[in-house]
Amino acid sequence: MIMNNKYVLKILILFVFLAICGVYSTAMAKVYIDIDAPGFQQFPIAICDFQNKKTGTSASSDVNSAIADDIKNYLDMTGIFKILDKKSFLEGVEPGYPEKIRFPEWTAIGADFLVRGDLTVQGKDTVADSRLYDVARGEMLFNKRYSDAGGNTKALALAIARDILMALTGDAGDFNTKIAFIIKRKTGSDIYSMNYDASGMGNMTGHQSIVTSPRWSPDGQYLAFTSYKKGRPQVYLRNLKTGSERTVASFEGLNLCGSFSPDSKKLLLTLSKDGNEDIYVLDINTMQLKRLTNSYSIDVSPTWSPDGQKIAFVSNRSGSPQIFVMNADGGNARRITFNGKYNTSPSWSPRGGKIAYEGLAGGRYQIFTVDEGGGNLMQMTSDNADNEYPSWSPSGRQIVFSSRQGGRSRICIMNVNGMKTRVLFESASHLVMPSWSPSLK
Amino acid sequence: MKKYLTLIGVFLVFTFCLTIFSGCADKSAVVRDDAATEDEAARRAREQAEREAAMRARDAALLTIQNIYFDYDQSNIRPDARETLKHNAAIFTHKSGKIVIEGYCDERGTDEYNMALGQRRAQEAKQYLINLGISPSRMQTISYGGVDHVLCDVLRP
Repeated sequence: MIMNNKYVLKILILFVFLAICGVYSTAMAKVYIDIDAPGFQQFPIAICDFQNKKTGTSASSDVNSAIADDIKNYLDMTGIFKILDKKSFLEGVEPGYPEKIRFPEWTAIGADFLVRGDLTVQGKDTVADSRLYDVARGEMLFNKRYSDAGGNTKALALAIARDILMALTGDAGDFNTKIAFIIKRKTGSDIYSMNYDASGMGNMTGHQSIVTSPRWSPDGQYLAFTSYKKGRPQVYLRNLKTGSERTVASFEGLNLCGSFSPDSKKLLLTLSKDGNEDIYVLDINTMQLKRLTNSYSIDVSPTWSPDGQKIAFVSNRSGSPQIFVMNADGGNARRITFNGKYNTSPSWSPRGGKIAYEGLAGGRYQIFTVDEGGGNLMQMTSDNADNEYPSWSPSGRQIVFSSRQGGRSRICIMNVNGMKTRVLFESASHLVMPSWSPSLK
Repeated sequence: MKKYLTLIGVFLVFTFCLTIFSGCADKSAVVRDDAATEDEAARRAREQAEREAAMRARDAALLTIQNIYFDYDQSNIRPDARETLKHNAAIFTHKSGKIVIEGYCDERGTDEYNMALGQRRAQEAKQYLINLGISPSRMQTISYGGVDHVLCDVLRP
């Protein structure tokens, strides 16, 4: 078994390369889960505890079940899987190697997909071989080797979960993302952020002032926001790599941060410098400013369409705050919400077409989605809480929002069909304006 | 949905209060009670004290810049607010110094929209004061949106 290290490495690299090619060719050949289909159901998946590949180089059984549990947790977060209870598993596998799956025994318990794997611990190195099966078709979708020199099985589980998602949906999902949000306290508000799996919470501003409207650039390079740290609202641009920060809007009156353009080169703003609260677009390299709306009314909260062609925003030009859509040059503004007297906080789906927003319904704020043309209105939340500030995940499959009820605030993630809400963070402080990052490296 | 009428203020703040307002309140004629009694002196003393207290309160009110209020989700200056702004403008014309007009909303609703609404309210008050002859160069607007007033007191520069 002892081979030249370089030789092993070459084989491993080749193997991973082939595996990745396999995954990508599968993904390109067919997207298994069409989550946009009406009546989309969660996909039932069985995930077996990993096996010790060889005696003598054994991982403990705790590690074997831990990596399977981590894969389950990660897949569960995506909201599109129904994880089957391992107590329901029949044997389902012929003894011997390579493994031969008895697919009917997996079909019998309702599994559409099956994950099996082996774990080998060699010194500090942990190697996981993971296989994904399509139970209905009776075929293997991928067989891939993962290794982690630090023995971090969570990292292995995350890599496996990401590949399963890639194989079935054609994209890597939202695993490498963060959610920024505002915690409002009596002494001030700040931007906090945490990872998609609710780990790694941290304060991004520490201004102890009023801080609001966090917006990520789609390339993950910048975070823009509004802060009163100099006594009045100004818009700041933080370079997330270098940590440097500069003021990009400090005009008289209101300077409020809007969303970035899809190419991350421009930032939408709400400014009152010319008398009315209007929407402007700022080129963040040339600092060239262009006015997009010019009405006596309040125009605020602009959000760009993913193709860069249109901008949704809030205007009270018809008497109450409503969602409007205009061309990116400011022309052809038309109202798209007509139900209720208070519709705000638009967020444009990265998959295009749909806009999420909050609206006052029955005395509570609830999350809605509507097509950019104003059709296909759907109410996504309806519980006895104030559900506000929707923001889409990069995959377009989930929406994060803040929910407040009886003095408790939550940052929640739900599927785009309004189902399966996960609480990311909960506090007695007021939590608002969650903003979903792009996929970060 | 219940109809709520919320009153939301615009605070007008003098950044430099250099002089004490020196205008005098009108001395109103004292109406005497003909049916004087034995405790006339005590009564007169009490009335005098009350008059003085009322005058002090009136002087204080005349010296004090007052808040104006708006209807729910509105930014137009109400009739009662017009009177208040005239009162405030009279103070401003007798004083020098910069004027900061702060716009607020109540905390319900969306933060960004509230910040814009607070700005619009401050802007409307500023325009009204311009029409009353206050120089725009003295005035600055700031919106705190739906932020807690206590916090604003802490953050105010």
